[in-house]
Amino acid sequence: MDDRLPPLERDPVIDAYKKDVDRTLLRERLKRTPTERLEDLAALAAFADELAAAGRRRERS
Amino acid sequence: MTDFATLIQTLADGRVDFILIGGVAATIHGSARLTRDVDVVYARTDENLARLVAALGPLSPYLRGAPPGLPFSFDVETLRRGLNFTLTTRAGDLDLLGEVTGGGGFDRLRNHATAVSVYDRDVLCLGLDWLIRVKRAAGRPKDLEAVAELEILRDERRDP
Repeated sequence: MDDRLPPLERDPVIDAYKKDVDRTLLRERLKRTPTERLEDLAALAAFADELAAAGRRRERS
Repeated sequence: MTDFATLIQTLADGRVDFILIGGVAATIHGSARLTRDVDVVYARTDENLARLVAALGPLSPYLRGAPPGLPFSFDVETLRRGLNFTLTTRAGDLDLLGEVTGGGGFDRLRNHATAVSVYDRDVLCLGLDWLIRVKRAAGRPKDLEAVAELEILRDERRDP
């Protein structure tokens, strides 16, 4: 395979998704170190898990 | 829940040749999207397979989604006979990839990876341009949103 990067063609579907990306959030993320970004990810995953668990508890009750 | 720190530190401390790709690599580049597993491309040399087995063995790797009790043995022979493994471990989900669509294997991707310091370890992470390339090549619908974010991150870095 050729290792030179050909310019990626614009993809209208990807471009459409870009309108919904929160650029302010990304700029804040870029101020953090790679480890801090991973710690944020772990916290987000824990939060998502807790929400899912709460939903399951509510369904059972 | 995946313990990202333990998985990355375990591989690094075991001197495994690997490159972070996928969602964790995207996070390192600044993505705010949620991912729940660690994806790595690993070198397929016998020495590296032995290091992988030694490092991950204590975490009891098992085939993710498979019923319990299968005669799965995480050893060098198993790794040699396979290529890509989706595993669950005591530290969470880990994908060991010998090759990725649009990117190839470790030897090729190493030239497009950057060293980053995470959790007090120096590891290789696939560069942003190649991460975009690989995710585009994967062609999964869920990757389109991720690629959109990665391309914006690339643009943000280029802007003064």
